[in-house]
Amino acid sequence: MTYNKKSIWQYPWGYRESFIIASGLLILGLVMNYFIKFSNLTISWPINIWFGFFFIIILLFSQILFKKKSFVKWLSSTPAAISAIITFSFLVLLMGLIPQKNENVNSIIFKSGLTEITNSLMYVFILIYLLTTLGMVILRRSFPFKNKNIAFFINHFGLWVILFTSALGAGDFQRIKITVNKINPIYSGINQKGIFISDLGIAIQLNDFLIEEYTPKAYIINGTTGDILNQKNIILEKGNKLKVLDWEIEVLDFYEYAAYNDSIYYAIYDIGATPAAFIKVTQVNTKTIKTGWVSCGSFKYPGNYLLLNNNQLLVMAEPEAKKYSSDIKIYTKKGEIFNKSIEVNKPASVNGYKIYQIDYDHKRGKWSEISVLELVKDPWLHGVYIGIFMLIAGAVYMFWISNKKLN
Amino acid sequence: MNLISFKIVAYITILLWLTGCFFLLFNHKIKNGNQIGKIITFSGILFIIAFVVFLWINLERPPLRTIGETRLWYSVLLPLIGFFIFTKWNYKWLLYYSISIAIIFLIINLANPQNFDKNLMPALQSIWFVPHVIAYMIAYALLGVCMAIAIWGLYLHKFKSFKYELLNKADNLVLMGFSFLTIGLLLGALWAKIAWGHYWSWDPKETWALLTWLNFIFYLHFRFYHKQKIVIPLWTLIVGFILLMFCWIGINYLPVSKNSIHTYSFILIFTYLNSIKTKEKP
Repeated sequence: MTYNKKSIWQYPWGYRESFIIASGLLILGLVMNYFIKFSNLTISWPINIWFGFFFIIILLFSQILFKKKSFVKWLSSTPAAISAIITFSFLVLLMGLIPQKNENVNSIIFKSGLTEITNSLMYVFILIYLLTTLGMVILRRSFPFKNKNIAFFINHFGLWVILFTSALGAGDFQRIKITVNKINPIYSGINQKGIFISDLGIAIQLNDFLIEEYTPKAYIINGTTGDILNQKNIILEKGNKLKVLDWEIEVLDFYEYAAYNDSIYYAIYDIGATPAAFIKVTQVNTKTIKTGWVSCGSFKYPGNYLLLNNNQLLVMAEPEAKKYSSDIKIYTKKGEIFNKSIEVNKPASVNGYKIYQIDYDHKRGKWSEISVLELVKDPWLHGVYIGIFMLIAGAVYMFWISNKKLN
Repeated sequence: MNLISFKIVAYITILLWLTGCFFLLFNHKIKNGNQIGKIITFSGILFIIAFVVFLWINLERPPLRTIGETRLWYSVLLPLIGFFIFTKWNYKWLLYYSISIAIIFLIINLANPQNFDKNLMPALQSIWFVPHVIAYMIAYALLGVCMAIAIWGLYLHKFKSFKYELLNKADNLVLMGFSFLTIGLLLGALWAKIAWGHYWSWDPKETWALLTWLNFIFYLHFRFYHKQKIVIPLWTLIVGFILLMFCWIGINYLPVSKNSIHTYSFILIFTYLNSIKTKEKP
C-alpha cells in the first residue's frame, strides 16, 4: 500500500480521498433532505436543457483548460470511478431493500428521502458525481481519439448518454391516465404525480372494447382454508374427462355465455352472461356420482360451485384474459379524426403521445363499458435510445472479443 | 403436456448425467472412460434440450413464464456451458459443478410440481419475451460458472498455489456473461417502453438487476486496474452470483416485491367466494 505513506488530501488522490468525497456527498444529501423539505427535484423544460448545456460546458472546459491540474486528473481516475460505482450501487441496494413510495410521512426514513431515493438529494449528488467522473474519463480518453479506444467509447459514452438524458428528461416525462367510454370523448386525465390535466390537446372516445379469454378452468379447493388442492389443470372444455385427486371429472356441457334461472344455467348471448359448465363427478373408490353446475358468475348472474364432500369444492375461476384491446376514435384540435386499435404491447402514437392499453372495468369483465388508457409523452426518449443502442453495440462487441479470446 | 412426462424426462436426464460423470470420474479404471463419459453426459444434455423443444411446441407458447420453467432452462444451459468449457480447457470439476447444480434444479422442479399452463398473459405476448429471458438465462449460466471458478480460486489461494491463469479465464467468462446480461437488461428496457410505457420504472426486479449489473461493472474495472489482486475480484464474482440469484428467485420473498409489476403468476378470482388466490409463485 504505497498511498498510505502520503498524507491525506495530498495529491494525487487515491481511494481514501475518493471514498471520503463520495460518502460526504451521500451524507450531505441525506442531512439536507432531512432538514429542508423538497417536494420535487426533477427539472423540466427549459431549465433542464440549460442545466445540461452548462454541465457539458464545465466538463469540456475543465478538461481542455485544466487537464494538468491534479483535481481534474483525479476526476477521471480509477479511484474516483470506483467510488462512484460503489456509492451508486449502495443507493440502488437501498432502493432494493426499502419499499419505495411509502407514504408514512412521519418516519425518519421518509424524511431523509430514503423511501423515494430517485427523488432525493443524495441520489442527485451521486448521479452528478457519477456523470462527472464518467464524463471526464470519456473526454480524457477521446482526445486525441485512438481507434483502440472505440469499444471503451461506445460502452462508456452509451451509459453516460442514458444516465444524462434520462435524468434531464425525468421532469418532462408525462404519463396521464384517462378512462374512456362510448358515450362522450374525454380530453382530460390525471398524471403520474396525481395532477389533473384539463386539456390533453386531443380527445378520445371508445368505439369498442374487446376481450378474448382463455377457456375457464376449474379448481378443487378446500372449503375451509380456500387452498387449491389440484395440480392438474381442469380445463372446462365440453367432453374433457380426467382424474383429479380422488375424483373422475367429466365436463358434460360448457356454455361460454349463459344465464341463470331457477337453479340452472342455459345458453344465451346476453350482456352480463357468465360462463357455466355442467359437470359429472365420480368418486374413484365409492363410485358415487354427483352432477351439477359450476360457474364463476358475473355482475349479473350468480356463480355456483359443486360440493364434492365435506370440505372439498369444485369451483370455476374467472376466465383469464388472453388479449384485450380498445378501438378508439381520436379527435385532434385541427379537426382530424383517427381510428386506432390499441392493446397491451401494441401502443399507438398520436400527436406526440404514445397511447397504452392499461385496464378495464374488472367487475363487468368482458362486458366492460370503459377502458383505461395511458398517454405517455417523453420528449427525451430518442436520446435514451441512442445510448441504449450504443450499449447494445458495445455488448455485442464485448461478446465478440470474449469469444475470440476463448478460441 | 402433463407432469408425468416431465418426471420421466428429469429422471432419465439425471441418470444419464450421473452415469456420464461416473465414467469421467473413473476413467483411469475404465477403458475409453473419458470418451464414453463425454458421450453419455452430452446425450443427457441433448435429451433435456429435446424436452424443452417438445414443451415449447406443446404449450404453444415459450416455456419461460414461471420460475420453474426458467429453472428448467438453467438446467439445460449450465451443463451445456460446463460441457463446452470442459472440452475447451479440460476443467473436469467445472462440468461436475454445472451438472450438480442442474440436477439440484431439476430436483427442485420435481419437488414443486407445477402444471404447465398453456395460458400466457397479454403483457408477455411480445416478440421481446424470448430474447429478453434467454439472454438473461445464458448470462446467469455463464456467471454461475464464474462463481464456481471463484470458489475454486479462493480454495487454491488459501490452501494451494493460485495461478493468475484462472482469473484470466474468469475475466473471459465474465466478459461473455456480462455482454448477455447487458443485452438482457437493455432488451428488457426497450420492451418495457412498449408494454408499460416507460423503459425504466425502478421496479424491484429492475433495481436488483441493475445492482447485479453494477457488481460486474465493478469487477471489470477492478480487474482492469488491479491485475495483481486476487481475493477482491474472486469475492466480487461470488457476490455477483448471490445478487443474480436474488434478482431471479429471492426477490419474491422481500417486502419490496409486493408492488412489483414484474411478477407473472395468474391471479385466480373466485368472485362469489370473495376469494383471490395466486396460482403459482413466478
